[in-house]
Amino acid sequence: MIEILRRMLRSPQGALGLVIVGLILLVVIVGPAVAPYDPEKMAPLTRYKPPGAQFWLGTDQYGRDILSRLLHGARATVLLAVLATALGTLVGAVVGTVSAFLGGRSDEAIMRTVDAIMSIPSLLLALLIVNLLGKSSLNALFAIALAFAPGMARVTRSVALSVRKQDYVNAAIARGESAAFIVGREMLPNVIAPIIVEMTIRVAFAVMLFATLSFLGLGAQPPASEWGLMVSEARRFMHLSPWMILWPSLAVALVAIGFNLLGDGLRDVLNPRS
Amino acid sequence: MGEPILDIAGYSLDYATPSGFTRALDDVTLAIARGEVLGLVGESGSGKTSLAWAIMRHLPKSAREAGSISLTGQDLLKTSEAEIEAIRGRRIGMVFQDPSTSLNPTLPLGEQLAEVLVRHRGLTRRQAWAEGEERLAHVGLKIPQQMMRRYPHEASGGEKQRVVIATAFACQPECIIFDEPTTALDVITARQILDLFKALQEETGVASLYISHDLALVSQIASKVAVIHRGKIVEQGGVGEVFARPRDAYTQRLLAAVPRPDHRLVEAAPETGDRPLVEVEKVSVHYGRKPFLGRLLGRANTQFTGNREVSLSIKPGEILGIVGESGSGKSTLAKAMTGLNRFEGEIRFAGRRITGLSDMDRAYRREVQIIFQHPDSSLNPRQRIREILSRPLALYGEPRVRKDAAAVGELLEQVRLPASYAERYPHQLSGGEKQRVAIARAFASRPKLVICDEITSALDVSVQASVIELLVDLQKRFGTAYLFITHDLNLVRQIAHRIAVMYRGDLVDLVDVAALSGADLHPYTRSLLAAVPAPATAAA
Amino acid sequence: MSPAYVLKRILLIGYTLLVVSLIVFAITQVLPADAAVMMLGENATPDALAALRAKMGLNDPIWMQYLHWLSGVLRGDLGVSMRTGQPVAPAMLEALGRSLLLALFSITLMLAVAIPLGIVAAVRRGRAADLGVGFLSYVGVSLPEFVTATLIVLVLAEWLQWLPATGYVPLTEDPLRGLKHLVLPVLTVSLILIAHVSRMVRSELVDVLHSDYIRAARLKGLSKRQVLFKHALRNALLPTITIVALDVGYLLGGVIVVEEIFALPGIGRQLIVAIQARDLPSIQAGALIMATTYAIANFLADIAYAWLDRRIQYD
Repeated sequence: MIEILRRMLRSPQGALGLVIVGLILLVVIVGPAVAPYDPEKMAPLTRYKPPGAQFWLGTDQYGRDILSRLLHGARATVLLAVLATALGTLVGAVVGTVSAFLGGRSDEAIMRTVDAIMSIPSLLLALLIVNLLGKSSLNALFAIALAFAPGMARVTRSVALSVRKQDYVNAAIARGESAAFIVGREMLPNVIAPIIVEMTIRVAFAVMLFATLSFLGLGAQPPASEWGLMVSEARRFMHLSPWMILWPSLAVALVAIGFNLLGDGLRDVLNPRS
Repeated sequence: MGEPILDIAGYSLDYATPSGFTRALDDVTLAIARGEVLGLVGESGSGKTSLAWAIMRHLPKSAREAGSISLTGQDLLKTSEAEIEAIRGRRIGMVFQDPSTSLNPTLPLGEQLAEVLVRHRGLTRRQAWAEGEERLAHVGLKIPQQMMRRYPHEASGGEKQRVVIATAFACQPECIIFDEPTTALDVITARQILDLFKALQEETGVASLYISHDLALVSQIASKVAVIHRGKIVEQGGVGEVFARPRDAYTQRLLAAVPRPDHRLVEAAPETGDRPLVEVEKVSVHYGRKPFLGRLLGRANTQFTGNREVSLSIKPGEILGIVGESGSGKSTLAKAMTGLNRFEGEIRFAGRRITGLSDMDRAYRREVQIIFQHPDSSLNPRQRIREILSRPLALYGEPRVRKDAAAVGELLEQVRLPASYAERYPHQLSGGEKQRVAIARAFASRPKLVICDEITSALDVSVQASVIELLVDLQKRFGTAYLFITHDLNLVRQIAHRIAVMYRGDLVDLVDVAALSGADLHPYTRSLLAAVPAPATAAA
Repeated sequence: MSPAYVLKRILLIGYTLLVVSLIVFAITQVLPADAAVMMLGENATPDALAALRAKMGLNDPIWMQYLHWLSGVLRGDLGVSMRTGQPVAPAMLEALGRSLLLALFSITLMLAVAIPLGIVAAVRRGRAADLGVGFLSYVGVSLPEFVTATLIVLVLAEWLQWLPATGYVPLTEDPLRGLKHLVLPVLTVSLILIAHVSRMVRSELVDVLHSDYIRAARLKGLSKRQVLFKHALRNALLPTITIVALDVGYLLGGVIVVEEIFALPGIGRQLIVAIQARDLPSIQAGALIMATTYAIANFLADIAYAWLDRRIQYD
């Protein structure tokens, strides 16, 4: 673990990704505690303030402090995105592994179905599911998890199949090892690394998707300080104060860039032969 | 001997790395005159390919050079890039190792030949295609007109290499570099390409630098030979002289490592009275399944046969060699015998009938072990050597076999590796060391039969020799029988008691090793024997 | 490319659309406890609910409802909008036409920019141009559509006042104004695609430039330019066809957001409106049309790929 961190820091991409994601996690953990103001406290006298000494990032249409709202909103945005990705990965990994394990016609049938589901754009699928379950952050989480599962199933299956072809798996079969040992000890350690990489990159997508759902009014609901929702609300006041829309947009972008960089860095580091 | 065409004097090459310079070539001096073939022999990493890139002026930016490389007096190190582009392909040609990767998959073969004629000889496209056809006919391609229009995937390996050779000779260059041009080909095809090389070389008198790891091959085609080791030319001279009286210690080791059928490494076959250890009875393997849509459209069955009713038997302590080209079904049989392929027919082992995977119980698995070709693939990259070796001990462990660290250390020492390697990961070992670990794993259960599937074909000749020596030693100590699968006829004739020849899924011959010089053989076996270059004429 | 391959791909489209229709139907009609309540609201009278149920066939078994709906779809009858009372199909197809116009402009712009960018980055690997392209594409793929769109509106429409921020004018009515209204949405969509595709082109081309046959071509004395344009590009751009087709799916998702932001009445905006109005037939039709578009784009890409790259027969 220490070794992986050390090697991550050696590549510029990995180091930058690690720093950004580290900062984001820090904000997720201590953000609400260090926020200078109550994120939902309205102050009619200090509306549309530009960034300054009193309000570092300015204030919004109700005079709420944008920095405090961003610090509080990190939990809603990042945590839910990570959870949604983890859930989607789990479901996808199970389906992909089972498909690779069964092989033959069942594998083909499962994968064709997964392909078919993937022909519904993930945002549309998420929209339909949220529409069915009702507007809320939790439902958005399930929707994103379900929308990600087919893609993860495909990735897991192709990784599992390529590992399955390796001679160390053949050697284990020829040795007479049990199926549980082959899957658990020989295959899994070699399958997990690429899946972690894929998952990290998908967190970036999940953050974007989650913010988009909120932006469209189908994720987090007012007065929550979810970042996508903040952008959506700020649109109407764009001509009064562009800062209101700029900061949450940049926050979403920074998180997505951070996880993308981290994923690319991990991809290089987790390759055992490099 | 006239003026040298290619003259390399005091040439050194370093590559800049983050931790300083690493030397690739060290003070290399060579000369090749018109009509000469210089064989450059070395193992992987010796710098022989770096020299080819240096002559072709195709070096990465990190390269630092010293000395000179001259083509008929013109120093290529001092020649501008534009001039080099005009020299490449016109005055120096090159033939590459693997025709399946050195030809562009999305361009017709003819285009890849004709473009050279257009570029260097100023022909129009029409003229170039017409001349290209002639060139292809000249290198022995039967249907040049069709071949011009074919894409690489529509031609065989031998046909593609002929196109590459025709391209190299197309502008009548003064010098051609041949970089292991037969290594990627089957034995018989390789022989034909070699004959073509000899014919063209004699006809054109081109100065040839023939790079190879194969001493036997070089001794047949070269007039001069240079041996390269760690970037240094350790010895060079006339072929007869170097092979008969090698002066350098490395050359001597290299020559000694070359497999020689007359130099037997094992004792005579065990008593014929013994009951067979394993009998393979009419084993067939079919690959692939009938495509659903093909059936719908009433297509013929496209099922590919891996083995057709192969029968053979192995006696205790016997080494049975199986030879054949790639795709002949050698490995398919190995996989069937270890439960990795479904098969029809039966295998009898120690009096028991085995007709499928379910019959292969723990006892059978313990007695029959397999070693694969590529140790990179057969050792799990995320397990330490200790984990890899302790697994068979735990699996087949008997009370008398200890399972502790000492047992793993003993296994490693048995294959002449230090016990401290137990804590390493496979990628920290060299190719030969990894293969020794794979051997140690196979021998951990003290098996009666070990199936060796091309286990030395990824290794250098000197490493191969030490692995073979180890195997022979283990066979003497434990009386283990081997099923030794290889494409190297010379190697298998050194160690096998009997040899089986496979061709396109069929077992065509199964004879005593001594009977290979006899007359009563399948035509394929005879052409295989004729195609194998006789090893260098020298005392080992 | 064999006829069997084409036939197989066509059968696959059929299967894909069957699965999609099942999913869409399941999500929109079966799972909500009572579609009639969903549409009329909690305060509807029992009589009104019963009448609607009967009209919608909600009293039939679910599989009957599905088959009924599917047979309608196969006849081109996508139902009647609950919101407007008009047939869904013509309205949706008209909206699709506007979206396709947006997609067509975006893909054209993307190809014109992304391929040269990818080539420059690959050829000048590790240098300033490569790092610049790399940085831009990283930022591009990391920005959600709504952020990109917002920033573009902020700069080009709000500050510089060059172009209208929202609205749609048919090209047939007033070509100039129509185009002006299309600029910002096209810019948003193509920026994201450019970021994605230029990265792909770069990495494919870098791989190809390291291959043996490229080295062989250089060592035959061909110039760098000849090698790049004749030997390398065709191999690097082949996989890009598939990537572009996959991007169509991404594009369709992104179109929902972009059309919403720019008030462009395409299929994405129709869907949002339908979702907000709980207009079930329109939601079903919109989702089905989008998935069909995507499946057809993929089919065409596969056929083009198989035709251009003669090496593959079956996948």
